[in-house]
Amino acid sequence: MLAKAMISHYRRHPLQLIALALMIVVATMLWTGVSVLTGQARDSLAVSEEAVAARKAVVRNDGQPVSVTDFVALRRAGICVAPWLETARGDAAQKVIGIDPLAMACFDAPPTGSDSAGLDGDPFVDISEVAGQSSRPGQLSLLVSPGEGPLPSEYQRREFRLGPATGELADSFLLNLDALSLLVLFITGLLVRSVYHLGLAQRRSSFVLLERFGVEKARIRRLLTAELTLLTLICVLPGVLLGQALANRLGQGFGQALESLFDLPLYAGESSPVPWQAALVMVVLVLGACLVDRFLPQRPARQGSSSGLSRLPVWAWSATVGVGLMMVFLASSLIWVFAGSALVFAGVGGLMPGLLARCADAVARRQRQTPSSSLNRWRYRELAVMFRNLALPVVALQFAMATVLAVQALVTTFEATFDQWLAQRLSAELYVQVPDGADAQAGERALAQLDGLGDWHRVRSGKAQLLAGDGAAEPLTMDLMALSPITPLVTDWTLLASVDDPWAALASGGVMVNEQLARRQGIQSGQSLRVKMGESALTMPVVAVYADYGRPAAEVLVHGDSLPSGFRPSFQSFSINPGALAVDDIARRLRAEWQVADLVIRDNASIQALASQVFQQTFLLTRAISVLTLVLASLSLLVMGWVFFSTRSWYFQLLGIWGVQPGEIRNQLRRLALLLTSGVTLVALPLGVWLTWVLVSRINPLAFGWSLPMAVYPGFWLELGLVMAAIGLVIAWLIGRQLAGQESLRPAANLEAGGER
Amino acid sequence: MPDDVLKVHRLSKEFISGRDRVQVIAGLSFTLQAAQSLAVVGRSGSGKSTLLNLLCGLEDADGGLISVAGRDTVGRWTALRKQTIGVVFQEANLMPAMTLLENVQLRASLAGRASGEEMHWLEQLGVAAEAHRFPDQVSGGQRQRAALAMVFAMRPALILADEPTGSLDRQTADDVADRLFEVQRNSGCGLVLATHDQALASRCEHCLDLSESA
Repeated sequence: MLAKAMISHYRRHPLQLIALALMIVVATMLWTGVSVLTGQARDSLAVSEEAVAARKAVVRNDGQPVSVTDFVALRRAGICVAPWLETARGDAAQKVIGIDPLAMACFDAPPTGSDSAGLDGDPFVDISEVAGQSSRPGQLSLLVSPGEGPLPSEYQRREFRLGPATGELADSFLLNLDALSLLVLFITGLLVRSVYHLGLAQRRSSFVLLERFGVEKARIRRLLTAELTLLTLICVLPGVLLGQALANRLGQGFGQALESLFDLPLYAGESSPVPWQAALVMVVLVLGACLVDRFLPQRPARQGSSSGLSRLPVWAWSATVGVGLMMVFLASSLIWVFAGSALVFAGVGGLMPGLLARCADAVARRQRQTPSSSLNRWRYRELAVMFRNLALPVVALQFAMATVLAVQALVTTFEATFDQWLAQRLSAELYVQVPDGADAQAGERALAQLDGLGDWHRVRSGKAQLLAGDGAAEPLTMDLMALSPITPLVTDWTLLASVDDPWAALASGGVMVNEQLARRQGIQSGQSLRVKMGESALTMPVVAVYADYGRPAAEVLVHGDSLPSGFRPSFQSFSINPGALAVDDIARRLRAEWQVADLVIRDNASIQALASQVFQQTFLLTRAISVLTLVLASLSLLVMGWVFFSTRSWYFQLLGIWGVQPGEIRNQLRRLALLLTSGVTLVALPLGVWLTWVLVSRINPLAFGWSLPMAVYPGFWLELGLVMAAIGLVIAWLIGRQLAGQESLRPAANLEAGGER
Repeated sequence: MPDDVLKVHRLSKEFISGRDRVQVIAGLSFTLQAAQSLAVVGRSGSGKSTLLNLLCGLEDADGGLISVAGRDTVGRWTALRKQTIGVVFQEANLMPAMTLLENVQLRASLAGRASGEEMHWLEQLGVAAEAHRFPDQVSGGQRQRAALAMVFAMRPALILADEPTGSLDRQTADDVADRLFEVQRNSGCGLVLATHDQALASRCEHCLDLSESA
């Protein structure tokens, strides 16, 4: 019977129960989705690292790529080696790896490092399948068994990786996701707490009554805890299942993100179990956020303050913001940037509701005494009450909006910058791959003889080493790209830093480095590097730093003439603008020169479209998380606003009793709701702009090695403002309906003491 | 100001309770002149509050006519409540986010009677010292006096008060009643007072017992 009395409040106010349940379900869904995806990423990294640790490959001492001949020679010498053929699948950006199960029989363990990754599906298939299905020759590697003895003198062992070493960068990527997840968790905690405490405040009088009837306070608390625990357990289950569905929906984009950033396929999680750990976190979060007050020292209740955010004085919150800003500005590691950002958010959250309420009160005081301005004064006074009493959802919405603004600015800036960068990189219309064994020099001569051909250059790719002592503590393996001749295809590139006339300086023996390498090693244009290409070590002046988005790999760019004669590129191609010639004429000339039946010719426009698509997928998860958080926060403000406005409905009725027309009351209601949501939007803007700066100028360089220009998008601010205005209008409409349908004119019992202020 | 501030002719109101129709007010007629007061008494549920709601248009009558300050009330209730009829409830008459003075100013402004004399009304009701306090910072009696100040500041022809001292202790109730009658008589407006307090009712010139009329 006591329990029945306890929950009787929700029988009269089912909306509050539904709101609380909805909050828990949506918050669990969001958190579970994010947890599943980051868990999969972490598992994939672990699988990859495990595989790398176990794998060694054989390379030739002369720098030439290994071939089938090498495989045969090594097997004849009794060495346990297995071929590993890696290529792209069809026209997709997916990687597929061919291995030979027969050759691997001499390995003690599968070389993939994962028992689950066999030959029964992606990305590992039989080597014959890869050789048959791919339109371009793959990159052949020879894996050597870990227990194998010395190799013949012309070979050596190397660590074998699927892609470039990601090192701390992959961890940073996951740390970014974790930070976003924690922000989401913090926001959802605020929201759940605000909805729960709003209901609790309205039930307090019935608890007092029960105490007067002799029910112990401790028993009431136990019943409240049991009630919340039961509700949480009931709501977490559908939340977890929905979260898994969300993760599955976002999984493909997330997988592409991982692969495009780190060459790391998403192996794990295809049949992941129900993430009970995420569910447990949510149960703890809900119970902790709602019941934390019981473990804090009690303070005298002050009417009109239900924010729960004002335990510290203004100076303390201001100091928190100040310290946070300094930390973000000065930090040299990602974790400190996150810690500083957290302090800034906490400080802003503590300051903002009170600040907004004071602003509203100040505007109220400035109103003159005319009928219309008297109503204005009343409206601003009511607004101040709302900012104080809806502090938690207001702050949560502010954080969510700031996150959405920042992520949107980051993604839009990245897309614009990336498109421009890609257009510069792929400014040639055609990309012709030099077939294995073909004489690229002969191809160069043939192209030079073609009358009417537009701009073109030859690209030679391979590996180089940055030798120790030149910014590197130990030799650093880098990607190498050599171009020649230098034409307008490259001279329009946007360079982040350069000496005078950098392309001429490159042709004179200089080297350009990508931003990732420059940031990691602190390299600046004008300094000299010792670069080992093949067997030769050269001292080269750095003539420019160029933008290179997406990959974390270090890369240097040299002129083709700077390559030492012994250097053997692993890959060669030509970038060509056909000019007055037909593509078929160029292809025919090269086929004749190289004596091959077919050529791999790619249309750069389609490559550009594909690359753009991959990078859009890269940010799908981030964008989805931030938008879902905004939806959650908006929903919360909507529900909270509705519930809170309902508690003030008597005062709107009082205006009616005083002769204010119903239309004017609805107008006041709309203006009040719009002021509430637009006030939150206004304070979210500076926080969002600051967070954008943190993302592009602090977090991105530390996490991925490249920075982006700072840009703001007022058009999106307007869009977001319109969404918030719509939420305000919906709140006003709901309350307007409620007022119109109210029959009783008696004020609620809890207004007897002068009402909440 | 016309002599008759309130004329009620054959007023009736019934409610549906389950399957039953309950006639709360049946063919009620009376007239109240300026500066006069009428106590509406009766047991709980006899229709005191309903009558007051009918007299200010917050509920619709089933039959009968009401005129206020010599004017027909049909379709004019909102305008009448704004400028002519002042309503006081037992509690929650003030906007909680505004000071007592701001509340009086708001009510006077809405009535188009803002004169800068709002403080004077608070003085008249004995709460000038609390003018800049919020409703939750003053006592129930002070809140009720401020509510009366709001009503007087709009200079109404008719005041409808529903148990205005019902939530106050005897001494405070008497004090508030003294102020109410004093200012009402001085201003010359009519007063209809619903109460079950016989002592308060006896201070009015007329008395209408709804228990008897029902």
